Amino acid sequence: MLPDWLPWLLQVNDSAFPSGAYAHSLGLEELVQNGVVNSPDTLETFLHQQIIPALLTFDIPMLGAAHRCSAEGNLKGLLALDQDLEAWKLPAELRSASRQIGSRRLTLIRQLDNSPLSTDYGQADAPCHHLIVCALELHTLPVAAAACAYAQQTIAGYATAAMKLMRLGQERCQAIIRRAVVTLFTRIEQACQLPLDQVGWFNPLLEIASMRHARAAERLFIS
Amino acid sequence: MHLSKPHEDAGCLVVNLVNPTAGLFDGDEVEIIARVLPGAQLVLTTPSASRIYHSRTGRPAIVTQQILAGPGCFVEFYPEPIIPQAGAIYDQRTFINAAHGAEVMFFEWLAPGRVASGEAFQYRQLRWQTELFADETLIVRERYSISPSHPESLASLTTKFACSHYLGAFIISDKPFPEDEVSALNDETTYLGWSPLHQGGWIVKALCADSLSTRKLLSKLRGIFHTALRREMPGLGRF
Repeated sequence: MLPDWLPWLLQVNDSAFPSGAYAHSLGLEELVQNGVVNSPDTLETFLHQQIIPALLTFDIPMLGAAHRCSAEGNLKGLLALDQDLEAWKLPAELRSASRQIGSRRLTLIRQLDNSPLSTDYGQADAPCHHLIVCALELHTLPVAAAACAYAQQTIAGYATAAMKLMRLGQERCQAIIRRAVVTLFTRIEQACQLPLDQVGWFNPLLEIASMRHARAAERLFIS
Repeated sequence: MHLSKPHEDAGCLVVNLVNPTAGLFDGDEVEIIARVLPGAQLVLTTPSASRIYHSRTGRPAIVTQQILAGPGCFVEFYPEPIIPQAGAIYDQRTFINAAHGAEVMFFEWLAPGRVASGEAFQYRQLRWQTELFADETLIVRERYSISPSHPESLASLTTKFACSHYLGAFIISDKPFPEDEVSALNDETTYLGWSPLHQGGWIVKALCADSLSTRKLLSKLRGIFHTALRREMPGLGRF
């Protein structure tokens, strides 16, 4: 028998779901303009060396914690994690992008499948970071499935942004996404359980790229 | 730790923090607590690089530094680089609490190793934790582990330049940030960005191609920030 949550997951994880994520490159545009990422091969290296480790050591464990709070109806815990992300996300543009995507998602899920927790969250004047709202939105799924969905959104977001920034065809793009996702998914359950006092990832290159993008004279993406 | 030749310059107490040994060894634990009273002005600096030596026992050298900046005070932390040598294991924990009206300039510089001797990224592990509170709000939290046995943790330091020096700075002040002057420091050896933090304050991060470009950048940033904060820049008591 199919799980009850499957239709919801397919809908909210569809690239047609209007979260606004398509307008963000999350620092990649500057790295492409600077020549750091300049081909499908360097894009794949960037994903495997910088984005997948960041997902496994930071985003996914944070999402796991937020998912536990959501499943328990722990509004206070969710708000604390959301506030914490304000301090973790140092570049203003990355912070703002995460808040924009999260806020848009929260508005949509309140329209489509509202719950008391979503209502309370929407009224709490929270930052609404993307991964917190993702955890809230997918709290009826097993945590690893929710984490897979978030990770897939992230990887696909970078790869599809890259198609607008460099010579990269759709088939190659999908192959890059597939390899990244396969690499990531074997480690995702463990990452969900990483204690919060051990989370963190060193990526000044992407942080600097995001900071520089905020002041770029010409740009295609919001972030 | 030796507090060397504290002296007054430009209205600030300038204190050199001197490690009397050759550097830090496994098992060493250094705890620095700088409590800056309301209205006081302090510059903390180190006269030479902090060398972290090979860990023979598998234990880390640990440095814990706390800067407690009272209301209306000024504190600057301006160290020479941390140079982790081959086999080094090092933990650094930094906690900064800036009370209302305090101005803080905090710099940090991580070198890849003894590059002139052909030794880069040969340490075993660096663990870094930083928390910065301004007016009782957490505005910065960083935690990371860098280990050459996990090459992806070094990717940021080897992608733009082969042997990047990493420089970070936090500025807490309600005065305008010198956006144009800082942005102009980008060049072919310096990849730099800056951003407002989420509730006041600013961060600057840079990757530099070598130690000379890092030193030049650090020195220029210091001058720019003192000017922006409308302060006379104290000398550091060294050439």
